[in-house]
Amino acid sequence: MTGWLVAASVLLAAGFGPTVWGVATGPLERRVVAQNFGTSVVCLVMLLLAQAYARPSYVDLALVLAVLGPAGTLVYARLLAEDLTDDPPHARVLTAVAASAAVVVVAAMCLATGAGRATVKLLLIGGLLVAGNVIASRALAGGFPKGAAASRD
Amino acid sequence: MTDVLTLISLLLVAASATAAVAARDPSRQALVLAVLGLALAVLFTVLQAPDVGLSQLAVGSALTPLLILLSVRKVRRRGRREDGGR
Repeated sequence: MTGWLVAASVLLAAGFGPTVWGVATGPLERRVVAQNFGTSVVCLVMLLLAQAYARPSYVDLALVLAVLGPAGTLVYARLLAEDLTDDPPHARVLTAVAASAAVVVVAAMCLATGAGRATVKLLLIGGLLVAGNVIASRALAGGFPKGAAASRD
Repeated sequence: MTDVLTLISLLLVAASATAAVAARDPSRQALVLAVLGLALAVLFTVLQAPDVGLSQLAVGSALTPLLILLSVRKVRRRGRREDGGR
């Protein structure tokens, strides 16, 4: 029980602290990438907190964030497209870090909960998290030129 | 251990709120506001109020930035049109 709390605290301090710093300073590209990374980190923290407090209903928070976080990043990619076209942000390393951390946390929680409906929900959240992260960072890097072209006119 | 977690999330809320006040450009401020919403959601969850955290997530991570960015866009367009008309 305490191990999950420690893991949540460490992830919150080590992952979300730099996010606040990255979103408060620097060029716009870095800020958008930091915000996207922050949603993934907070989603994982919610999962760990649900396990730490032994309340499976807290997993709903992570589910909502796994859906809404990439949606918010796509809002930025669409509406800030004019400012981001000069130097589109590439964050392959950060995306890989977030995706692998999501896989590790979801796998650990699946092992802890055992088989059942909760495991299916956890796997769904993990899949949404990884897919949303990849899609959002590709959209930020200008990977979907059709959308960028549509937003310019 | 719970106190440490509460302290960390309180510090993160204070830091991101200060950054949101200090940001001058509205589009950058929208990004900082989204991160502030995330920090507040973590704080509410740590304080055992996940329902408040849920609504904070829904409003803070998608709706507020969308409204701010749409308003910025509209104001910019209007400014451009008035410049062109002159």
